[in-house]
Amino acid sequence: MPNFTEETISVAGGNLQVYKGGSGDPLLVLHGAGGNAGPRRYAQALAEKFTVYLPSHPGYGKSDRPGWVETMQDLACFYTWYQEQEGLENARAIGFSMGGWLAAEMLSMTGHAFRKVMLVGAAGIKPNDGEITDIFIISPQQVRELVYHDPAQVPEWDELFGSDPTPEQAQQAEGDREMAIRLTWRPYMHNPRLPAKLGRVSIPTHIVWGENDNLVPVECARLYQQALAGSQVTVIPNCGHSPQIEKPDEFVQAALAFL
Amino acid sequence: MFLMRFTERAYVNYTEEDVRNSPNEAVRLTFSNSNFDPAEGHYLYNMYLDEYEYSEEVGFDGLMLNEHHNTPTCLGATMNLEAAILARVTKKPKIVLLGNPLPIFDNPIRLAEELAEIDMISGGRLVSGFVRGTGVESLATNTNPLHNRARFEEAHDLVIKTWTTPGPFRWEGDHYHFRVVNPFQTPLQKPHPPVWIPGTGSPETLIWCAERNYPYIFLETDPQGTQDMKAIYAEAAREHGYEPGPENFGYLVRIHVQDTDEKAYDVGKGYMVGNIGVGRIPLPRDYASPVGYGSRSDDPRFLRLREQIRSDPFRVGGLDGAQYDSILDSKRWIIGSPDTVISQLREVLSFMRPGILAVWTNDGSISHEDTMRCLELMGQEVLPALREIGEELELTDPFQKEGVMPGLTAI
Repeated sequence: MPNFTEETISVAGGNLQVYKGGSGDPLLVLHGAGGNAGPRRYAQALAEKFTVYLPSHPGYGKSDRPGWVETMQDLACFYTWYQEQEGLENARAIGFSMGGWLAAEMLSMTGHAFRKVMLVGAAGIKPNDGEITDIFIISPQQVRELVYHDPAQVPEWDELFGSDPTPEQAQQAEGDREMAIRLTWRPYMHNPRLPAKLGRVSIPTHIVWGENDNLVPVECARLYQQALAGSQVTVIPNCGHSPQIEKPDEFVQAALAFL
Repeated sequence: MFLMRFTERAYVNYTEEDVRNSPNEAVRLTFSNSNFDPAEGHYLYNMYLDEYEYSEEVGFDGLMLNEHHNTPTCLGATMNLEAAILARVTKKPKIVLLGNPLPIFDNPIRLAEELAEIDMISGGRLVSGFVRGTGVESLATNTNPLHNRARFEEAHDLVIKTWTTPGPFRWEGDHYHFRVVNPFQTPLQKPHPPVWIPGTGSPETLIWCAERNYPYIFLETDPQGTQDMKAIYAEAAREHGYEPGPENFGYLVRIHVQDTDEKAYDVGKGYMVGNIGVGRIPLPRDYASPVGYGSRSDDPRFLRLREQIRSDPFRVGGLDGAQYDSILDSKRWIIGSPDTVISQLREVLSFMRPGILAVWTNDGSISHEDTMRCLELMGQEVLPALREIGEELELTDPFQKEGVMPGLTAI
């Protein structure tokens, strides 16, 4: 199993925490609103084929927030800066949830953001019928209950949630939530202009969704497909908002087939 | 001592079960307004206004109003409307708004206009308090809680400038942007209506008030902890070249009086279904104080104070879980016959030394009839006694202390 290292690099005048592991072409992995859970099982598997870069977004984990990072568009700008600095332009990328929205914003800004992109349960587009669950008026515990369709099938459950968080972890979670609030408060978890701006995208895109996603309705997979010409969609049955954690094997299989 | 009368104007026609069945079992924010009956609202708004009018008659110096959103615990969702009515129908008392929640206003100029109208209609009787609002106010109005304090301060600066600087001028701030600030109507009181700030003792706000010589009104705070809060204010005041006195502080207390101690004890139980609602079910943390709303200062003195506020068993927000008798024993609520109330208040006032006393006469399920009798007894016995005590203890209020407050024009 590939070893991941944790490193801190300076980007845009602040420290960025990055987990890095594996070998092969670079693969940028963008975490969701809940924060960076580190190189979980899915990341280990992907690192067999790729050099996986898993940064904590500015304001998350141990990463600093440059004062100007206030919106998702600011965050996308930050990441183009990071890509340029680390030679990650035109890399492959996977974005989970809010990280999927981030990847989509980057795609809308430049033609050489990525070579291929996978969007997983991505926020960013407003559903027509349902609503993106408001995670800021429910407790973190309630959010977790909604994320997983069936906790019993989450192989890393004990590792992730088996023990109570330490005071440091609890404080970290607060900081992560604060950053999510900063970035996605209004309009909540979407950009009304994003679908139109995705019209420029011509690279291969793969949209992955858990069939039973209780946070971002699965209809958003179709909306992303409409916005991204030529994209393919995979809906994973019996699975919630985070296929990479809840069904890592199926997820990795789909990812490797595409990437 | 300045004596003002207050009630939150509760709506209590629902059951604990209704609250239990609401999203997150919360009486605020998500408790469905299908539980509200506007016909009852018609009755209640007019009843509460009647009570305020009567409060003038019995001799209160001020009529205090507050504002909350998405909640049955306070019908004052747009307090300025009630204030405008009272500005017209009353003649003497100050109209004390504690306060308008500044961060939730996307257009503070409109607020400045409303308050100027109230000030003019009332003949310069407006006291314009401002608050940050609870987390519920942020959520109900979709105001990012992270920017709450910054918006509070910027909106305040904008309102004050709007009142004091001849327009037109442009405002380009971090949160507010206006190309032509020039509302034609300006307040009667010059340079502007007095500003008082109510709160539960946030150190940042205490210092902010002291820097501006704004009286700070402690909302049912723990008397012991309040001494530390006053010390923070006083230290900042001295750094700004003045020694604060009673005129810089107010205290809000539930005070209910009836003819006998027994009657008052029974009636006073009505408070228990007021402030946090029927069922007294604590609000979810993410409603009351969303992540980002609170301060992240690591000043040890502030942390200690915050812990003190948090650990107060009778903390503000409805003296959440406390039992009636223990609240009374601790004298956090003063309930009894006129003699009992006067003697207990003498003790509380001696210790707290506020120049402003906010008398929370009734709430929750206390009936209109009992409220009117309470107000009558206040006028006949309690207020005159309190005025004497105020004199004796030299509890100077902001209007007695020359030069402290701006304005004070009267017609």
